[in-house]
Amino acid sequence: MFLFTSITRRIIFLHVVAISITSVFMPVALYVLLRSTAEDLQHRSLRENAELITRYMSQAPDGSITLNLPPDLDTLFSEAYGRYAYSVLDAADHTLFSSLHGRTPVFNTDARLAGPEYLESKRGDVTLSGASIPMKVGDRTVWVQVAQDMEHRDVLIDDIVREFFSRVGWITIPILLSLLIIDVSIFRRALSPLFKASEMAEKIGPERTDVRLPVEAMPSEIKPLVHTINQALERLERGFLVQRDFTADAAHELRTPLSILQARVDTIPDKELARELSRDIARMKRIVSQLLDIAELEAFTVAPHEVADLRSICVEVAEFVAPLAVRDGKNILLEAPEMPVPVNGNSEVIFRAVRNVAENALKHTPAGTTVTISVQDKGTVSVEDCGPGIALSERAQIFQRFWRKNRSGSTGAGLGLSIVKRIMEAHRGGITISNLRPAGCVFTLNFEANLCPPFTGMVRNETLGHPLLMAAAKDCSVNRGDRA
Amino acid sequence: MRLLLVEDNAELSKLLVKSLGASGFDADSVATAADALSVLGSTHYAAAILDLGLPDQDGLVVLRTLRARHNTLPVLILTARDGVNDRVTGLRAGADDYLVKPFAIEELVARLEALLRRPGQLLGRSLELGNLAFDTIGRQLFIGGRPQILSARELAVLEILLRRSGHVVSKRVVEDQIFGLSADVGSNAVEVYIHRLRKTLQDLGATAAIHTIRGVGYLITEA
Repeated sequence: MFLFTSITRRIIFLHVVAISITSVFMPVALYVLLRSTAEDLQHRSLRENAELITRYMSQAPDGSITLNLPPDLDTLFSEAYGRYAYSVLDAADHTLFSSLHGRTPVFNTDARLAGPEYLESKRGDVTLSGASIPMKVGDRTVWVQVAQDMEHRDVLIDDIVREFFSRVGWITIPILLSLLIIDVSIFRRALSPLFKASEMAEKIGPERTDVRLPVEAMPSEIKPLVHTINQALERLERGFLVQRDFTADAAHELRTPLSILQARVDTIPDKELARELSRDIARMKRIVSQLLDIAELEAFTVAPHEVADLRSICVEVAEFVAPLAVRDGKNILLEAPEMPVPVNGNSEVIFRAVRNVAENALKHTPAGTTVTISVQDKGTVSVEDCGPGIALSERAQIFQRFWRKNRSGSTGAGLGLSIVKRIMEAHRGGITISNLRPAGCVFTLNFEANLCPPFTGMVRNETLGHPLLMAAAKDCSVNRGDRA
Repeated sequence: MRLLLVEDNAELSKLLVKSLGASGFDADSVATAADALSVLGSTHYAAAILDLGLPDQDGLVVLRTLRARHNTLPVLILTARDGVNDRVTGLRAGADDYLVKPFAIEELVARLEALLRRPGQLLGRSLELGNLAFDTIGRQLFIGGRPQILSARELAVLEILLRRSGHVVSKRVVEDQIFGLSADVGSNAVEVYIHRLRKTLQDLGATAAIHTIRGVGYLITEA
């Protein structure tokens, strides 16, 4: 029904409509009022003239009426002056007196009304406006007709009425326009708490459930609505917290019994059995850790000025996964620029993302091959393996929680990559996957949107003495070089 | 070698003391932060294993108090929480290492040994891996119990690798160790030394191998 969804626009639109209508009707109404006032004034002056004439009429003892106008009045009403005229008629329609020659009545009317009658007539090219007013003279009633030449009637009122539009009417338009502007600013002021509340409401999400809308400054009409929204937010937050805390608590509480179990397993004399049980416990430990990660990351946001160096994160990840790789007979290679690659992000969380991707790559790369972690200046991290690659049809699924390609054979819970996805979302970054020929797969974590301007000043290169050259051809052969 | 275990879960505490005993560590155990601080004030331990979730106070308080007393005792933190900032907070408070529950006793022992292998600590005098034994005081390497002759620089490289065995030692650290900060080092000097050391160890029948982590550094493990 409304053209606009914005309340301000809606109000302004309706206001403009109202003002346009007012700006048309107000001058018209004023004009009409002015006219009727002018007419009233005209009628009053006619009546006064009639009364003036009546004052100089008197009844003789025989019943006849005489009129003795003083000379100045006589001149005023004379035909020579031409602006005013009078005649006096009796009930029998005889003209008793007249300022016109030949004793003709000013108006030829049949009716002898009990009240004043206002008339208009044309005499030659002159329009006469006048009245026929019954007056008592002695015991007789006479009808005094007075008339005024319209061309020469009271000039002031006439001018006001005639020139109302051209002189005065236009001023209503700027007045109404400035009223409109004032009103718009009044609306904006009155609605400003609402604007503020909408801005705050926009921030509410799974990461920020503690936001409440301000009630104090709200207009009283809107207060109940805001109050209700706040109550709903309260319940929502409680729900979020319960869920978050439950996952965190559950994971937490599982760790101590798992530790006891592990410690007990360590005392089993049968070393083979102990090793197998330890492996199972390690798997459970990993799932518990990942559940904790998920619970924690649910509420995670990147602080605006937090800076993480992708280069040193990747060095840490390489150091972290290297012993595992060596244990399984696989290699880790790090390719990184000499200078830091600072991005807006949380180091610990990005570390987990890169670690998860690297661990995933190590799981799928065959023994004797290399997993390459590389950092690019533009703010990306790639992890390349020599595994079987990921089919196009599976690429969306691998980031879902608890998804595993081979449910029976796999060791993980299928949480690692879903954690990576969440971390990348929190950093407004993306993940791309591409397969390599003849074998392998590259995961690229993209932090380009978060890239910070490079550090100024010298930064000591902690790990790499010399820049590494990118291998020209992909090498998935078994590698045990000396070059670090 | 005496350790202090600060752990409030009685069952876990009992099992850990037993397992540590089997690995050659005598451990005393206390269950509260207050007890830990009072025992640490009166007894000298080689290292402490500190659980963060204690009933009376946070384990980090114990750690901070200890460091405020200028006590340099190696401390390994045990925790059931490993949130984004927990590891950093723990290490900043002065922990030497950090282990998340649950952990295998082997892992705990390995970490303890690594802490104690640091220069100035008890195990720092003799570094052992596979059939290698390196006496850091006499600067003598034994393989299978027989003394071997290596160059001083080879020994220096082997020492830092053994002190951090199971962990990657960055190439820069190895470089600084061999050449100090003054010398202008050729781009592949470290690689040459590592290659030579690896060959020497192989020739001498050592059951330890040096792995190259390209772009990062080196890692020594039992072969």
